[in-house]
Amino acid sequence: MSKEQIIDIKHMCKNFGPTKALRDVDVSFYRGEIRGLVGENGSGKSTITSILAGMQKATSGEMFYKGQPWNPKNMVDAQRHGISMVLQEANTIPNCTVAENIFAGRFNEFTKFGLLDMKRVNREAQQMLDSFGISHIKATDNINKYGFEDRKLVEIVRCVSDETEVFVVDETTTALSLEGRQILYKLIHKLKDNNKSVIFISHDMDEILEQCTDLTVLRDGEIKGNLTREEMDAPDAVKRIRFLMVGREIGEAYYREDYDTSHQKEVALELQNISFGPIKNFSLTLHKGEIVGFGGLSGCGMHEIGRAAFGLEKLASGKVIREGKEITTPLQAINSGIGYISKNRDTEALILQGSIGDNIVLPSLPALNHMTFINPADEKKLSNGEIDNFRIKCNNGKQWVNTLSGGNKQKVSFSKWTAKGSDVIIMDCPTRGVDIGVKQFMYKVIADMKKEGKAIILISEELAELIGMVDKLIIMKDFEVTKEFMRSPDLKETDIIEYMI
Amino acid sequence: MPEKVKTKAPEKEEKEKVTPAAFLKNHATELTSYLGLVLVIILFFATNTNRLMYNLSSVIQSAAVYSVIALGAVFVYSMGFMDISIGQQVGVYVILMILCNNAIGGWPGLIVGMIAVLALALACGALNGSLGVILGLPSVVTSLFLMFFFTGVQMLLIEGTGENTIYLQDVTVRPEDRDMYSVMLVAIIIVVALVATYFFKYTKLGKYTRAIGANETTARQSGVNSIKWRMAGYMALGVCVALGSFVLLTRTGTAGKGTGSGYHMDIMICLILGGMPLKGGMKSKISAALVGSFTYTLLSSVLTTMHVDLNMINFVKAIIFLVIVLMTCRKKDGVLPR
Repeated sequence: MSKEQIIDIKHMCKNFGPTKALRDVDVSFYRGEIRGLVGENGSGKSTITSILAGMQKATSGEMFYKGQPWNPKNMVDAQRHGISMVLQEANTIPNCTVAENIFAGRFNEFTKFGLLDMKRVNREAQQMLDSFGISHIKATDNINKYGFEDRKLVEIVRCVSDETEVFVVDETTTALSLEGRQILYKLIHKLKDNNKSVIFISHDMDEILEQCTDLTVLRDGEIKGNLTREEMDAPDAVKRIRFLMVGREIGEAYYREDYDTSHQKEVALELQNISFGPIKNFSLTLHKGEIVGFGGLSGCGMHEIGRAAFGLEKLASGKVIREGKEITTPLQAINSGIGYISKNRDTEALILQGSIGDNIVLPSLPALNHMTFINPADEKKLSNGEIDNFRIKCNNGKQWVNTLSGGNKQKVSFSKWTAKGSDVIIMDCPTRGVDIGVKQFMYKVIADMKKEGKAIILISEELAELIGMVDKLIIMKDFEVTKEFMRSPDLKETDIIEYMI
Repeated sequence: MPEKVKTKAPEKEEKEKVTPAAFLKNHATELTSYLGLVLVIILFFATNTNRLMYNLSSVIQSAAVYSVIALGAVFVYSMGFMDISIGQQVGVYVILMILCNNAIGGWPGLIVGMIAVLALALACGALNGSLGVILGLPSVVTSLFLMFFFTGVQMLLIEGTGENTIYLQDVTVRPEDRDMYSVMLVAIIIVVALVATYFFKYTKLGKYTRAIGANETTARQSGVNSIKWRMAGYMALGVCVALGSFVLLTRTGTAGKGTGSGYHMDIMICLILGGMPLKGGMKSKISAALVGSFTYTLLSSVLTTMHVDLNMINFVKAIIFLVIVLMTCRKKDGVLPR
């Protein structure tokens, strides 16, 4: 079986300051394959593909595309030559229509005598949407109308055209709903069948094993192994891949191992009959030492409950009560010992254009304040403690957060609240885009928090995580609770899904 | 535990490898600003052969006003906001101090005026900071409102006196000796700079204003009461505008319809020359106020001693401004909009 090589990368190195993101990487991609790229956060997966797609330049090394030297000027240039990439983060232009987003940068194709034929733009955009099977998105609608998942689909439509030869999917599936994933899977298999090349980055091992035809494992900027489809089907494949990724046996302990749903009697947080927006009369009592999970499709209202509990939503009626006091603003929530990890890591949870230290200490500044004075040594001690605790991969606390990989960013937003010593932590998708090594670590942190008597609300789109971690699982659909489950070894995903859809 | 040791060791080894090139790249803005300052200092000494001391004291006199106000403006600019009412505020404050002095007489009158001005400046700061949030307006709009308001007040006050120019009476606010005056001004700059640095680097005020500039949503979700700290930032500027107005008054002892005009733009240019990012955020720095104020005044002085036509000076400034902005504020990456 000889496959035609489409991309050949030789001796690629990439340094970010003193950090070596890629160390002398040699890798080739072939036509007619879906190549999975896996590795822990910061292992260099996104670095390779972003260099390939023209987002940044390699420090050294060569790339060949269809046998010719390949040096894309930027992403637009790469896309024009057939290499497209969908990113992890949102990448649509707000306040424009869907059609304008799809044809951004290509309006001259629709222009005659200086006049833009907007009707044609809209018509062709809608045809493209329909051909991808996402007719529920209308080309003439404002993009702001659509949620994160739908905007991601619009990006995919924008990326992929007849000219696409290489399609890079960079951890996009975490942002997609179930239906969205199916659309994406269908698309990549169609591309494969048409003798194109797909590079698929994901942290979801099941997804990788199901969808990919080949697999490359990275660790610390080096290629650690390549697996064929046969090797991926071997019974111990998952174990082998994990070992290649982490470099050590990670053991069986992953989720919580106990089935002890007991908690203290004391109430940590209470939502009393709250109503806001489409949510009506929702109540919840969270006790010390209890983990309450929320599951459902995104858009079911569970994220909003988390926001309301932190004082971020204006309630039409009802109250959020902590220790006898009503919570109406994030400041009150924080002062009363509540922490909140937003689902929108890059826009809400973190100051990307700021140092790791600045981010970690921000909620703790009032505690470090002595007669207006905040001692930089105290700040450093606090942030370095968390950096060590969470093993945040960085040169030092002064490094900017936007230079970190996804999982390390997530660790920073987690550590803000451990540094603050919050007793109630609301986590909205805390492990989104995080690799197994970090996930395992975070699950241990969460389990330890329960033992310390902290109260946790865990909102997640991953059922396995909820089943594995929470004491009580609340399933929501269309802004209403459809079912509650208690922690049990017998609880299966299939039992739950029917209450979600 | 052994894990930690393992991860730490290579870090140290790699940290020493920060190359000069990388250092240059990371500190391009700072280096450009400092180089600019060094350049105008060299030019200043090169062009001033006979009237050096006199010109130097003139530079200190105008730089003192700029520095004091710019040090306060850093708090507002670090939030990514700006205040374009500064010029008119200065005008009204100087006039008010003189009017109080004239009405009550001597030092007591001036002191009453200073207290009134300080109170007014704080009130304006609170208004500037809160109105934008409450009404959901960009902060420039509220300061635009204040600018028009104060323009009117300045006109009314001056026309009410029936004079074109009003003077301080029966007080000496400025030492007779020119050198003594320079020393006094330098002392004021140093004290204000130290206080501003303290608040900017070591207290919640500076940390929160920078956080608001970098990402207001994150700041709010991390417990920053954004209305309160926006107000605090603007009030810090208010204190400095009041103080700067007093410094200006010590210099001239007079006021008229044109007093203070143009200061809001001068302050902005000073801060940009000093390397302040217009978007605010974590890269904001207090040194921008001092570096920029002195670069700006020295530059003006050099252009004047070089006998550049007064009208041309503005063109030269415009070009220098454009070059600085191009060098520091432009985005260079080819990433699609995100």
